[in-house]
Amino acid sequence: MADAVRSAADIGSNKRVVERTPREKLCDVLFWFVRASVVVNIIILFFPNFNAARVTDQINKNMSLFTCGVSYKTLITNFGRAFARGWVPEAAFKLLNASSLIIIAAVVIMIIGACMSLGNNKMKKTSTFFTIGGSVVEICALIGIYRSYDMLLGSEKIEKVNPVFPAIFWLYVVLAGVALFVSAAELILVPTTKGEKAEMAAKYRLFLMMLPILVLAFVFCYLPLFGWRYAFFDYKSGETLSWDKFVGFKWFKSLLNTAATRKDVVRVVKNTLAMSGLGIATSWVPMVFAIFLSEIKNTTFRRVVQTFTTIPNFISWVLVYAIALAIFSTDGFINTFLTSIGHPTMTNYLLSDSHMWLKMLAWGLWKGLGWSAIIYIASISGIDQQLYEAATVDGAGRFAKMWFITIPELIPTYMVLLLMSIANILSNGMEQYLVFSNSINKNSIEVLDLYVYNLGITSGLIPISTVIGMVKSIISVILLFAANSVSKLIRGESIV
Amino acid sequence: MTHEEKLSKRAEEKYFKEHTTKIKLTPGDIVFNILNYLFFILFTLSCIFPFYYIFINTISNNELVKKGVITFFPQQLTIQNYIMMANVNDLWNSFVVTILRTLIGTVLMVFASALAGYLMTKQEMWHRKFWYRFLVITMYFNAGLIPTYLNLSMLGLTNTFLVYIIPAIVSPYNIILVKTYVESIPGEIEESAFIDGAGYWTIFYKIIWPLSKPILATIAIFGAVGHWNSFQDSLIYNSNSPELYTVQHRLYVYLNQSSNLSAMVNGATSSSDTAALSGAMNTKIIQYTISMITIIPIMLVYPFMQRYFESGIMLGAVKG
Repeated sequence: MADAVRSAADIGSNKRVVERTPREKLCDVLFWFVRASVVVNIIILFFPNFNAARVTDQINKNMSLFTCGVSYKTLITNFGRAFARGWVPEAAFKLLNASSLIIIAAVVIMIIGACMSLGNNKMKKTSTFFTIGGSVVEICALIGIYRSYDMLLGSEKIEKVNPVFPAIFWLYVVLAGVALFVSAAELILVPTTKGEKAEMAAKYRLFLMMLPILVLAFVFCYLPLFGWRYAFFDYKSGETLSWDKFVGFKWFKSLLNTAATRKDVVRVVKNTLAMSGLGIATSWVPMVFAIFLSEIKNTTFRRVVQTFTTIPNFISWVLVYAIALAIFSTDGFINTFLTSIGHPTMTNYLLSDSHMWLKMLAWGLWKGLGWSAIIYIASISGIDQQLYEAATVDGAGRFAKMWFITIPELIPTYMVLLLMSIANILSNGMEQYLVFSNSINKNSIEVLDLYVYNLGITSGLIPISTVIGMVKSIISVILLFAANSVSKLIRGESIV
Repeated sequence: MTHEEKLSKRAEEKYFKEHTTKIKLTPGDIVFNILNYLFFILFTLSCIFPFYYIFINTISNNELVKKGVITFFPQQLTIQNYIMMANVNDLWNSFVVTILRTLIGTVLMVFASALAGYLMTKQEMWHRKFWYRFLVITMYFNAGLIPTYLNLSMLGLTNTFLVYIIPAIVSPYNIILVKTYVESIPGEIEESAFIDGAGYWTIFYKIIWPLSKPILATIAIFGAVGHWNSFQDSLIYNSNSPELYTVQHRLYVYLNQSSNLSAMVNGATSSSDTAALSGAMNTKIIQYTISMITIIPIMLVYPFMQRYFESGIMLGAVKG
């Protein structure tokens, strides 16, 4: 089938396989320089450390060139007073903003060019117009930035602006220059045939259609890994990283050497393993739920049970907590009910530290049981009825049939889910534990994810919380591969 | 099936009905059945009673609720509490934010998953295998909460509405689901379209999109519920922008500021929106009413969702 489609695609693009001449091969190599310079240019637009428009110390350190271009308001946050007093020419900032915006536009033009350079010779030739045009525009905008720096130098109270020429400016110049000169060379080098139509091979067209999604995946899944560098620096939120703050493995060591931290980590890991462990120990419950539910012959009853027990899975943990309040708090259902039957009580069951692990397990089961059972219910309905009939003939009772037919049929599904939950033993999420935590149960409810949140976001201790998250991620990946190998070993099938 | 076949089948059924003796239930069976039914009745009740309890407390007379009389049945019905909620601008603001993110986020996610799922079936794509692994691998690692936060903050997405939408567009799991589904569509359909001169886009929106509607509906519904229930991203990335709080986050705030809320009810502060809640309502009733309003949208789509449960969960077992 694949071959048929491929040949159909070849017909569609009218592609002939022709040997490429040395000149064309040279062009192909040169185009990689253009594309590389465009890609680097895109990336540095978004990094605050590579902001060529940061011409004074007063501009926020965490602003990228992109932000300078799209948000004039953020650009001038620190200059309200300076403008009002006439210390700084506002025109310089308008020019800076406009230049940044033009750089963004220029990069967009170059992106179009870089994408088009994947086409045939005719399209390649057209693409050079875009890359040349884009790089010329970028150079003009860079001159604009230089000009605004000049204007700032001439401001009345120079110590209030403190202009600093960003060294990174030259990287932009080099990138634009590379794109300009290589594209100009390509314009001459790329051979053209009369009457050739601009088109692109199917494989590149498909790739370009896919590209936006790949870029998003890169930005939001791979780029965060780059944030692991914070684990090796002495970083406080709001600052920028610099090499003089490099501390190596200091935070890793402090995790083990500082008594208070070590105690905290041990407590949190204990909570995490205990609650995940309880979850794993009860992971057979949905299977039994499904088996017993299928023992009920009344279909309407079965459907009603399934419908209502699945609801809790679709409400958020915040709402579960709202329900917990309604039932177990001081003026909740339990107290109201006990009072009404003559046992006046005023206990807030949520404000207690006892059996926290079991309570969290119970809430997890309440929320997830009906939903987790669905996969088993579906599998049970797929079991061959003849097996049961044969067993009945052989005199098997209800439990014998469950034990010797149903359970063995469900075990493969169960094993996959079990191995996955073992691989996820360290990541039990934070939502459930966050909503239920309060000052009284804090010590027995805090799991790793919640601890990282409290440490990093609430207390702002970025490096140490990064270290914990990093170690956790690495262990999780190792566990996943271990679980996968186990699965391959015993089932001959991988789970990932 | 011909008429005669039908007749013979009916006769066969009738025969079996008359001639199979009902298996007699042993006492053990009866006890088992009773216990079994009892368990499921109790568990089902435990799943719906809390919702019912909250609901009857919001529609009963507030004085009775405060006295703690309402346990199983509503008394002196009123919808006053819900009408009062109309004045809580914060809540409606969160509603608008959440509805927008649910709509926009789901549409973009479904579109991206459909497109990527389709493209990933195309063997002729440049380095298809590599890019497929590039996507799938992201399901198995996670940089962690803080690096993710710093990344979004560096990109200027924190404290913006876009942080709800953009990071959620690409979902490798859903891409795999769509890819598996598209692979089951006969290749001849696509081929004939190719020969008729259709390009990839035309094939995508004229053939693949309509034919994969079942799977797209499944991922849309689960995606929408995920967006509606999202709480963490609002809490972590937008904590400094109350105007961008999602409904769940807003509810969380209300649940935790009980002292504040009751102060407002007692008229201690009258400047805020929440002061509008004073009058006959106390903290408990306010919390109940807001919880109920937050649940309602889920309950409304729930009947439609049900038929996608099995396809949703079963497809999860099929991986490419």
